[in-house]
Amino acid sequence: MSTDATSRTSMLRTLLHRPYFWGLIAIALLLAVNSLKDPSYLAIGYNANTGSLVGNVIDILRAAAPIAMISVGMCLVIATAGIDLSVGSLMAVAGAVSMELLASAGGSAGAALAALGLALLLGAVLGAVNAVLISVVGLQPFISTLVMMLAGRGLAKVITGGQNTAASNETFRWIANGYVLGLPVVFLLAVLIVIAVGLLVRRSALGLMIEAIGMDPRAARLAGVNRRGLLFAVYIASGALAAVAGIFASASVMTVDVSNTGYQLEMDAILAVVIGGTSLAGGKFNITGAAIGALLIATLDKTVVFLGISSSATPAFKAIVIIALCLLQSQRVRDLFRARRAKTAPVTSDAPKEAVAA
Amino acid sequence: MNPTRRTILGASAAGLVAAALAACSSGAEGGGAGSGDPVTIGFVAVGPEGAWRQANEQNIQDTFTEDAGYTLKYAPATNLDQKSQIDAFTSFIDEGVDLILLSATEGSGWEESLGRAQEAEIPVILIDRGIEPDDTELYATRLAPDNVAVSTSVAEWAKSTFPDGAKYFVLEGPAGVSVVNERNEGWAQAMEGESAFTDLGSQTANWSTEEAKSVFETVLKSNGNDVQLVFAQNDEMGLGAAQAVQEAGLTPGEDVKIATIDGTQAALEALSEGTLSFVAEYNPLFGEQALEAVGTVLEGGEVEPYIQIESTTFDSPEAADEALPDRKY
Amino acid sequence: MSAPPIVEMKGISISFPGVKALDRVDFRLFPGEVHALMGENGAGKSTLIKALTGVYTIDEGEVRIDGTPRRLGGTADAQAAGVSTVYQEVNLCTNISIGENVMLGHETRGPLGINWRDTHRRASEVLEKVGLGELDPRLPLSTLSIALQQLVAISRATVTDSTVLILDEPTSSLDANEVENLFTVIRSLRDEGVAILFVSHFLDQVYAISDRMTVLRNGTFQGEFMTADIDQATLIATMVGKEMKALDSLERASSRREVDRSGAPVYRAEGLGRKGSLEPTDITLHAGEVLGIAGLLGSGRTELARLVYGADKPEEGTVRLEDAEAQIASPSQALAARIAYASENRRDEGIIRDLSVRENLILAVQAKRGWARPIPAQEKNALVEKYMNALNVRPADPDRPISNLSGGNQQKVLLGRWLATRPDVLILDEPTRGIDIGAKTEIMEEVIALADEGVAVVFISSELDEVVRLSDRVMVLKDRRKLTELLAGDSLTSDTIIATIAEESAPEDPGSLEPAGTGASS
Repeated sequence: MSTDATSRTSMLRTLLHRPYFWGLIAIALLLAVNSLKDPSYLAIGYNANTGSLVGNVIDILRAAAPIAMISVGMCLVIATAGIDLSVGSLMAVAGAVSMELLASAGGSAGAALAALGLALLLGAVLGAVNAVLISVVGLQPFISTLVMMLAGRGLAKVITGGQNTAASNETFRWIANGYVLGLPVVFLLAVLIVIAVGLLVRRSALGLMIEAIGMDPRAARLAGVNRRGLLFAVYIASGALAAVAGIFASASVMTVDVSNTGYQLEMDAILAVVIGGTSLAGGKFNITGAAIGALLIATLDKTVVFLGISSSATPAFKAIVIIALCLLQSQRVRDLFRARRAKTAPVTSDAPKEAVAA
Repeated sequence: MNPTRRTILGASAAGLVAAALAACSSGAEGGGAGSGDPVTIGFVAVGPEGAWRQANEQNIQDTFTEDAGYTLKYAPATNLDQKSQIDAFTSFIDEGVDLILLSATEGSGWEESLGRAQEAEIPVILIDRGIEPDDTELYATRLAPDNVAVSTSVAEWAKSTFPDGAKYFVLEGPAGVSVVNERNEGWAQAMEGESAFTDLGSQTANWSTEEAKSVFETVLKSNGNDVQLVFAQNDEMGLGAAQAVQEAGLTPGEDVKIATIDGTQAALEALSEGTLSFVAEYNPLFGEQALEAVGTVLEGGEVEPYIQIESTTFDSPEAADEALPDRKY
Repeated sequence: MSAPPIVEMKGISISFPGVKALDRVDFRLFPGEVHALMGENGAGKSTLIKALTGVYTIDEGEVRIDGTPRRLGGTADAQAAGVSTVYQEVNLCTNISIGENVMLGHETRGPLGINWRDTHRRASEVLEKVGLGELDPRLPLSTLSIALQQLVAISRATVTDSTVLILDEPTSSLDANEVENLFTVIRSLRDEGVAILFVSHFLDQVYAISDRMTVLRNGTFQGEFMTADIDQATLIATMVGKEMKALDSLERASSRREVDRSGAPVYRAEGLGRKGSLEPTDITLHAGEVLGIAGLLGSGRTELARLVYGADKPEEGTVRLEDAEAQIASPSQALAARIAYASENRRDEGIIRDLSVRENLILAVQAKRGWARPIPAQEKNALVEKYMNALNVRPADPDRPISNLSGGNQQKVLLGRWLATRPDVLILDEPTRGIDIGAKTEIMEEVIALADEGVAVVFISSELDEVVRLSDRVMVLKDRRKLTELLAGDSLTSDTIIATIAEESAPEDPGSLEPAGTGASS
């Protein structure tokens, strides 16, 4: 066996042990099914007019961006053994405040920047309110963020006066619809933000601290870990990332729909986090996994439309894919599979043994 | 409410009829009980959902004023949740309001609540949204534009615009909602047997511009841009589809014609610019008719189980320009 | 013994990733005997017990129960075979009643479902056997002290009519009276023919109760002995495989050192107290001194430590650090003031199970630095290596989850965690509880070494011998207040401490003990 091949198998094996491995497999399968329907599904073209790459995969990347934002925030929150149900509503708030501002401030780049800043600030502030409710008042995360989920959508309606507000601003629109180097800006931004958050938590000691309070708050406290400060950090991060997602979503159509923007996206975010291999019980977390989970959910949404699955069957289809994935991730089910395969195909040499392990 | 109180109320209403007529120009026929003892009406509403709903509910609130002799209790649903509506409905019964206006977020599951209102002898008038199954015994009347008729008018326009047929796609509201079923029904009936038209399918975009854009961008790709007609069941989704068409490098109104229902200001502006090709109004402004029906019901008079609200259609930029200056929503 | 063994395990091997936990171990247990399983932490005692109770699957070897080969696929299999276990950490449901805990799964059933009256009556009978007859079985379990919960757990095991009863460290949270009580129960069960497997780190107890012992070391079988035939020195030598000179050399270590108490104390608190946990207490700590805290369970020794560290916020009292007034209201403030505290509750307040040894070790240092200033990788490795070597942590793999380590090694990692913060004051609350003699000695040696380096060490232990051996000064607590402080010297022995504690209650009429007093000692 050549060294190249060995290193490749060992790489494959490392990948296999990644919690998001099955998420990647599911994405590949969905893409394969779509390709069966239309062999040119994966083809990517180039639109010289807009300087952009065109294709279904590009659409998926664009659709995944807002989900990835809230999933990354949710991932950090879940790692502290919490949950943030308010992300969908905060998306609407961010969209509402930026659309209202742009509708009155006009189409300048400055207005776009102001809208961005204001939306991010508001997201962070509302995230901080969550943190206060949880770490200072001592409410359960589920309750606190449920309150914020209801209050947030109410706030969005107050901001727009209950209307769906539209605005026009080319700079703001560019965020969700523009292209750089042929790739959607929104996707590039999402990747940058995921990498930035990932580096921040793993290069600093933030990740370890978050895991410590998620796994064992009492022991972490006695070890001098400042739980309150960390909870503020993660809920503010989650709020700000939800604001980014809200900006992405509203910039896409330059309209905020106070009832529908971000509606029930907290569920998508939670699913993405779980698919990415982070336990809802808190502790060990995986940012890359959450981003891949978001990508899978976007792929799934797009597949449903591409295959033309009827609206009423859509929820069931999505549920089946996600249940299948969760089953594959479950250690118990995998052990069962392994045991059966080991029984049916007795190990005779090293090579099949690897296959069994795979 | 007990029968005795109703009689008293009827008598006092009769005595004050002249005053009420003088006080309000709308001519609430005996429904208003005058400023001293206004009639209490509970409005179980949908709440913020879109421009159409906003116009409709504002119109109702502007009609049933104190001046007209009414106290209107407005109870919008939390996040379009039916349970919050049922809770509001029940508390209106417990309070003993004189009449309940109901715009149900979901058609099914109202039998028990409506039955309770009936036991309490509180009449219920449905505004816009119907109930399923449609048991007319359970409510006094329903006021609504006819969804079936409105979507039929879209289909008729499509047939005349594409005499040689076209490939079309339908953007629906959330699956299972009665409006969606009715708009599908009108469209399907009119399109039945039209062999020149090819149905490319339908998909929900949950009334949302953003989702409609995302859904239709994929629909265009899966059909190689070979789509000539989009029937969007509300304006917001139509506007989203138009953006997807533009992103794909096509021209809405030329390569892909988009027809929508509702007739909001934003949609008429888009029609005026040519990005939408047809807008069927689903008239939200029927406060006057509602006022009339409420008066009749409270007096014990008979009303038709269904009062259809007339709607118009706009099929050209010119028609849109004409209507835009007066557009209230 | 002529009767055939009730349990016979032959050639048992169990491997975990990277570790051979048991390597061809033999074990047998006869009816009507108390059999002690001996060995250091990590010797394989827990693994062997879990193999017998069906928690772990055996890789190689054979288990026979009552002569029949058994495949134990789970705890239910073991229970069906008549094997009951009471684990080291009490495994009961604190939110249901005592009676329900005792009878769980064995409730009396009538035509209308469970007959609670009869169930509780039977629970009372069972509790009677362990000397808890007067307890009301309807009270929630949470109203009982940990010690009493342990006895409830044991009584629960007798409900199932077990032929084999495994007691894993049953005495670690019991006081002398309760231990005697338990031994009476064990003896009566033994006389009824039950085979009892007893695991304890208290050698005296092992000698008092067991008839036979099996010794393990590093996952291998070292031998089976009749208790009467093996003396303590030989037993310890068999267990640790090295000469236990360390314990002896420790004996006089403290009295050899001279503590300079003339300078400003590192830490001094006056009237430190908190309602319901500790009456206002003065405590002074000097650099290079080991202050022992002696007192019974519930005397306030842990409470005092927690107040000093800020784990519980003091309600009154003033604190001075080297003559500068200070406020310590939280662990992070304490760490910033170079005070460290190793909790007695290693499982819930010490280790973080799912983190690696490395992460557990550096956690406090990192928390002290704040998240924004991560320890550079090189420094981190050096730190981990330094303390793992110094404290002889086994296995020496820092990337293993800490939950894979034995209790003694976990404790060493925790000690390393606190040492790495370079504290001026180090409070060790029961650092030697539930760990083997080898690790115990290593930890006590470390304590002396630290004091020699100038650290002020507070050493809390219910083992009075350990306190006497290590301390330069001993603070005696009782009923949540300080009785006295005693200086080390030839006159300070565990007997003098016991006498001090006993004397305090002597003036009072034993019949008129305050309720608070009885509550605290239970």
